Amino acid sequence: MAKYIMKRLLHTLLVIIAISMIIFFAIRLTGDPVTVMFGAGEPTKEAVEQITEKLGLDKSLPEQYFIFMKDLVQFDLGVSYRSNQPVLDLILERAWPTFLLAMGGMVVAVLIAFPVGIISAVKKGKSVDIFGRIFSLIGISFPNFWLGIMLILIFSVSLKWLPASGFDSFSALILPSLTLGLILSGILARLIRSSMLDVLKMQYITTAKSKGIKDWVVIIKHAFRNALLPTVTFMGLQFGALLGGAVIVEQVFAWPGIGRLIVDAINQRDYPVVQGGVIVLAIVMVVVNLLVDLSYSIINPRIRTGRG
Amino acid sequence: MATEVLKVSDLKVGFTEDKVDVPIVNGVSFQLQQGETLGIVGESGCGKSMTSFSLMGLLPSGIHWQGGEVLLDGNPLNVTSQKEWRKIRGKKIAMIFQEPMSSLNPVYKIGNQIIEMIRNHETISKKEARVRAIEMLTLVGIPRPDKVVDEYPHQLSGGMRQRVMIAMALSCNPEILIADEPTTALDVTIQAQILELMKSIQAKMDMSIVLITHDLGVIAEVCDRVIVMYAGEVVEEASVADLFDQPKHPYTKGLLNSLPNINNEKERLETIEGVVPAPADMPSGCRFYERCPAAHEKCLVQPEFIVVDNQKVKCWLYHQ
Repeated sequence: MAKYIMKRLLHTLLVIIAISMIIFFAIRLTGDPVTVMFGAGEPTKEAVEQITEKLGLDKSLPEQYFIFMKDLVQFDLGVSYRSNQPVLDLILERAWPTFLLAMGGMVVAVLIAFPVGIISAVKKGKSVDIFGRIFSLIGISFPNFWLGIMLILIFSVSLKWLPASGFDSFSALILPSLTLGLILSGILARLIRSSMLDVLKMQYITTAKSKGIKDWVVIIKHAFRNALLPTVTFMGLQFGALLGGAVIVEQVFAWPGIGRLIVDAINQRDYPVVQGGVIVLAIVMVVVNLLVDLSYSIINPRIRTGRG
Repeated sequence: MATEVLKVSDLKVGFTEDKVDVPIVNGVSFQLQQGETLGIVGESGCGKSMTSFSLMGLLPSGIHWQGGEVLLDGNPLNVTSQKEWRKIRGKKIAMIFQEPMSSLNPVYKIGNQIIEMIRNHETISKKEARVRAIEMLTLVGIPRPDKVVDEYPHQLSGGMRQRVMIAMALSCNPEILIADEPTTALDVTIQAQILELMKSIQAKMDMSIVLITHDLGVIAEVCDRVIVMYAGEVVEEASVADLFDQPKHPYTKGLLNSLPNINNEKERLETIEGVVPAPADMPSGCRFYERCPAAHEKCLVQPEFIVVDNQKVKCWLYHQ
């Protein structure tokens, strides 16, 4: 197991180096940050040169990348061109809201998708299943910005039950979590349904029934536990995606998350914030993946014991 | 006179197509005595597995009971509710299957799977159930049972897994064990060991076995009596010795002829020409008519069972 984790960590390191290169060069293709800083004004040549030098942008690209990496290994992500605040502080400030939203979305998705997927599979072809599948399809088809706006219109504007934006109370978390979770639950329910259908055909399900145990024990303990295996990987990846990819929902609900921070930084060509933000998300994503794989070995004994 | 534990009369099981019942198992009858091993032999699709699944109340979806009666210790099985079925499954009738590799749940320890069975039918503590599980594993000849009890199925070979299945099936001391092709997926040497094991445990526990197989070799090895099934019907019933000595039904003869024989120098094995008719397309007369070397006009009418030399056979050849 220790060897496996070491191997994975090495792998992780390579991935992060690759991502750092891609983001470092890609952001430099978007244009010169100095011109953006001066806005509509006509800066003097000296002023531009002075700032370029101050930001270290006069150095060659390999040299800039080397400095960026040297700082990175010391956990120094640089300082924002815009606000002059350390990038790490900016990200940490936004990390909690992003994490909270991702968790909220995941909880909603699980609460809906698990029962829908299981019941759909068990009652395959019955009206409950057809209802469940239509629900999944709707979940998959809805664009999340549209769903977000609809939820705001219904629950904030018309009913005035829940706030449409903000980050100060639990109730503010409900609508964005629902938006993310409803969309995700569509795919998740489908996945669980098909995974359950595969498992229900297995011989050990007949064995379980032949022991005379109750139907729901067969379904939950014997079938669902096995159907969960392929689902966990998906949920882990989705959780990673929720952390970084909730940009649109963060915009709709004015949620102060990392996604919005990066989008704003890209618009302003704030190189350090973009680089830092993406690198941190990449690290989180890779760590989540690692945790998913480790958790997989807990629920699947065939991996834990290193055979099969 | 041994007691009769199971009596199946005129069992019909099948599916419904366009509101018409199409039987897969058509009027199967047999009895099972205490301590006896009854073999059910036939080709794939002859209804032998469906017969066994109806005895467990575990018919696949779409397949249902269409008629007949099954008496377990004199009590009719076909009217029992799901709740009553659950008391019978595992406790009165236990079952083992063809694929030991996939018969055990991969995510639970072997011991826990056996304990689940025991605690489902008996009110005993986990600790006691675990002791019993280890006893059962010892009984079926698992080496290091106190270790294996905490192992996962994938850590064992196919033969060992089938032993575990047997241990689990027998853990609540059932009256009847249904073994559906229990050795088909195993190596020949392991097959012999498993059959030997079933025989020795049967003697210890005085239980009855229904052994379902397509392999006449297996039948010869362990069974007392055999019923031969063809296209959903029983065509012959006899003791093992009689069946192998003097098969009566042309289908049984064909089956025996198609076995490889070490003294036979012919290069090709005998086969029975043709294929089994589809369930929805059964001839009204004898179902073996099309493939039978002895077929004649009479066979267009369904024959009745007739007893010849202590053998029951469903063939016009023996009707005077």
